[in-house]
Amino acid sequence: MATLTKPQAKSAFTPSLVLLLSMIWALAIAVYSIYLAWRIFNAEAFDVRESLGNTVQYFFGFLSLVPAVLGIFSALGFALLITNPERLNLYQRIADHELPPAQGIDRIPLLGRYVFLGLNYLGTVLSAFYLLHLWDVFIGLDEVAEAIYENRVLLWGLVGAYLLFWLSGKIIRLQRTLELIALAVGSISFILLLLFSGVHEALIYIAGQYDSLIVWIVTAVVIIFGIFTYNALQMGRTFGETPEQSIGWQGWMLVSPNVIGFGLFLAGPLLLSFYLSFTNAKVGQVPKFNGLENYTTIFSLQLREQKPEHQYPIEALDSDYSIVHTYKLGNTRYVLGARDARFWLSLENTLQFCLMLVPLATIPAIGLAVVLNSQLPGVKFYRALYFLPSVAAVVGTALIWRTALYSSQIGYLNYAIEQIINATNAIFGTDIENPQFGWLIDSRLQLFSVVLLTAWQIIGFNTVLFLAGLQGIPNALYEAASVDGASRWQQFRHITLPLLAPTTFFVVVTTIINALQVFNEPYVLYSREQQVPDTVATAVYHLYLKAFQSTSGNELGAASGFGYASAVAWVLFALIFSVTLLQFRVSRSGEER
Amino acid sequence: MNKRLFVIALITLLSLTLLTPVLAQDSGDITLRWRTRPDNQEEADVYQAISDAIDAEWDGVTLRYEAGGTETAGYQDTLITEIEAGTAPDVFWIPGTDIARFAEAGLILNLAEYAAADEDFSVEDFVEQPMFHLTFSQDGEPALWGLPRDVSSFAIYYNIDLFDQAGIDYPGGENWDWEAFREAAEEITALGGDIRGFGMNNWWANYGYWLNAAGSSFFTEDLRSCGLDNENTVVALEFLSSLYKDGLAVPYGEDAEGPFRAGNVGMFINGRWATPGMTQVDFNWNVAELPAGPAGQSNWVFWGAYVVNAKTEHPEEAWELLTRLTSPEVQGQVAALGANIPSRVSEEALEVFLNTFPELGLNNQAFLNGLSYGVPETPVWFGSWSDIDNAYFNGVAEVINGDLSPQEFADTICTEVDQFFEE
Repeated sequence: MATLTKPQAKSAFTPSLVLLLSMIWALAIAVYSIYLAWRIFNAEAFDVRESLGNTVQYFFGFLSLVPAVLGIFSALGFALLITNPERLNLYQRIADHELPPAQGIDRIPLLGRYVFLGLNYLGTVLSAFYLLHLWDVFIGLDEVAEAIYENRVLLWGLVGAYLLFWLSGKIIRLQRTLELIALAVGSISFILLLLFSGVHEALIYIAGQYDSLIVWIVTAVVIIFGIFTYNALQMGRTFGETPEQSIGWQGWMLVSPNVIGFGLFLAGPLLLSFYLSFTNAKVGQVPKFNGLENYTTIFSLQLREQKPEHQYPIEALDSDYSIVHTYKLGNTRYVLGARDARFWLSLENTLQFCLMLVPLATIPAIGLAVVLNSQLPGVKFYRALYFLPSVAAVVGTALIWRTALYSSQIGYLNYAIEQIINATNAIFGTDIENPQFGWLIDSRLQLFSVVLLTAWQIIGFNTVLFLAGLQGIPNALYEAASVDGASRWQQFRHITLPLLAPTTFFVVVTTIINALQVFNEPYVLYSREQQVPDTVATAVYHLYLKAFQSTSGNELGAASGFGYASAVAWVLFALIFSVTLLQFRVSRSGEER
Repeated sequence: MNKRLFVIALITLLSLTLLTPVLAQDSGDITLRWRTRPDNQEEADVYQAISDAIDAEWDGVTLRYEAGGTETAGYQDTLITEIEAGTAPDVFWIPGTDIARFAEAGLILNLAEYAAADEDFSVEDFVEQPMFHLTFSQDGEPALWGLPRDVSSFAIYYNIDLFDQAGIDYPGGENWDWEAFREAAEEITALGGDIRGFGMNNWWANYGYWLNAAGSSFFTEDLRSCGLDNENTVVALEFLSSLYKDGLAVPYGEDAEGPFRAGNVGMFINGRWATPGMTQVDFNWNVAELPAGPAGQSNWVFWGAYVVNAKTEHPEEAWELLTRLTSPEVQGQVAALGANIPSRVSEEALEVFLNTFPELGLNNQAFLNGLSYGVPETPVWFGSWSDIDNAYFNGVAEVINGDLSPQEFADTICTEVDQFFEE
């Protein structure tokens, strides 16, 4: 353990000077954060109020006060050390193992250092991202990728270099020479690829961005943050840090890319969508808080009796309600209506989709996994083959299914059915009619067609999961069972299935979650030349429509725009969460029994 | 790393970055990004060439052309996301139906003041129908939301070989009405096998033509409410659904273009944009006007416009780009592709269009005739087109699939749809 705290190189700066600079920088961060918060509260920064409204403005205002508090705290920690050289000396002796660690460690400076480290690390990452943005790197990546694609012929140079390198291992006599040639060929192709792809132009473009002061400032800020992060990492000895504590922050550093990514791209948007669900947010407009209006719109349902004076069911409902379903009980017809009827219809489609998909995507997957787990020849090829649909892009596969398989006139599915029927009629003298299924147009078949495509796509993935589960079952169990005279089926029923239960549970849970979030398949199968019909519109498709398509700027009800779509998303989340929770409960009670 | 070395490295790096402005090629040009949604690579190449040509002769401005996605809905969704994020191009093309929602949401710039200051510009230079909607103002203030890139209309694409086999007259001419259309469809379907007399896709303009030709309309005259609650709607839908019920058409909801291009369909309704692609088929074909309905001839005037991003930093240059992109020369270049019709009232550009595909002997005039009596594609200023469109689409599908009677559709559709219009 002691080896972890390596002796430090002699520094050009004394510890107290470094501490003093760090304290000033921490105070600078605090002062700037307070200034930023003040600007945000006055809506001068980020035009937050214009795009996201007051609440988000205040939220960001308070959020930017957090670094201020943290900065002051770490500055206080540094001050404690600077004003007390004895303590500094004590810590260094602890770090050098001259004294036991527990003795007299004050937690505030140490904690202050971690806070300072975190602040600077985050500062480096965020300001670096901002700098890349100022360099237009994010919108330029497409062009770089395109340019490299255009010069893809140069990639053969890299392939050639690899081949030469591989060859050098085979011909020991010429190993060194071949390695050098490989290195030269590889480097030259790479440099040429970069040059032909215009990387030098990109660099010149980036350099051109430096005609603005802000780019200079941000570059400087990135560097300063970077220096202080590096320094804070090296200051363990100054603070009497123990190896265990050092391992602790190293762990945090390792997971930090994920934590930062989660915060920026998942937790942040989640929080924002939760807030937006209580507003009337629409594209291009300042969101206004509207309380629970979005949720009340979603849950506004009406069950009315269709009276004799109502010629059509819709007349039984209030004017802003549409029909979800009509039911006949005895001689009375009831009409179920909703203010957003299409939400309820899409939810119903989603649940039906889920009910059909789960058995279709799991039962065949178990069967396939059992077959692929055998020692049959060529089994590896089939494992890859069945997995292929899971890695193929859904847009491509859905287009193939739409035109080549599902077309009622020229699709292979109907062609195969026709051939089978013709053969049956010819052999058995029957007179079965060709049903010529309208896979994508018959309202009774449309949803099933989407299920079939989705099941085909995920069976391969589920099979791999089941395969992993099967390989975890000890062979001895099967051997013992066959000694006892158990048949293949009995072995499957009493050994394979029970021991696969945890895998099955995982597969079913993930398939259900995926099914409840389905969007791509109906969207691609239908929406090139037309809308997705009501019969296959799923809940996520509905919320997409509400967010992006119903973006009319007028004050039409509440049921459109980002605010309403966010509310739909949270209702869907609640549903998925409840279903998953229920499954966990059921699974746990099953295990307990 | 040695701390001293580290500090030296940093200082060197900083000094190097200090040198970078010297290396930078600062031409001082304003960069304008612009985008369209081309249907194919050939079209994208023409726009790129137009962009390069304008760029070469325009001092002080550098143009960057971007070919947008070809999927129908994705193009606008991408734009909306980019506008929200502040990364959308300065100038972009959108379909006519989207003008209202983009303008109302404040996503595009009202160009009235730039147009007023531009002596060379006149609204009358462009086709009237799109300009009516592009200058529509809700608050009485002068408005100009963009300039139409081009216009288009529907026609009947017909398979000459199938008509010859059936021994019947080609579509068009004086008596070309719904009755003649149905007779032709019956005769061609009677050829047997997978042959169908007629096919069309099912997005709004397709069933919309039948409704309009029967005398009905998506909207009332003031464009403020649903206009389908009348007997003409019943007549249109009864006629249309009978074509499907009697097996004369490619099943409703299925893409009819594939079977038509495979030579299995006698008549196919589609816009001018489909013409270049049709040059690949291996049967004889031509185009004719849509048949006259009970209320006379009908068609659509499809249009889309170049608009300016409300967040552009260079509104004046963006306006100039709009005028340059819709100049007679550029319109002639686009018209030469044969995919669309010039939006400028220019004999010269129209002549270019009329002479496209001379080797095929196409009846290009049919599209121009269609424009003369066509109903313009309508941006909905007083409601949510997406919701209205969705309700019409599903209702008509129910009628044609036999789940709803035309009468019930006409009686109930406006009750459902009127909630999507402003009070």
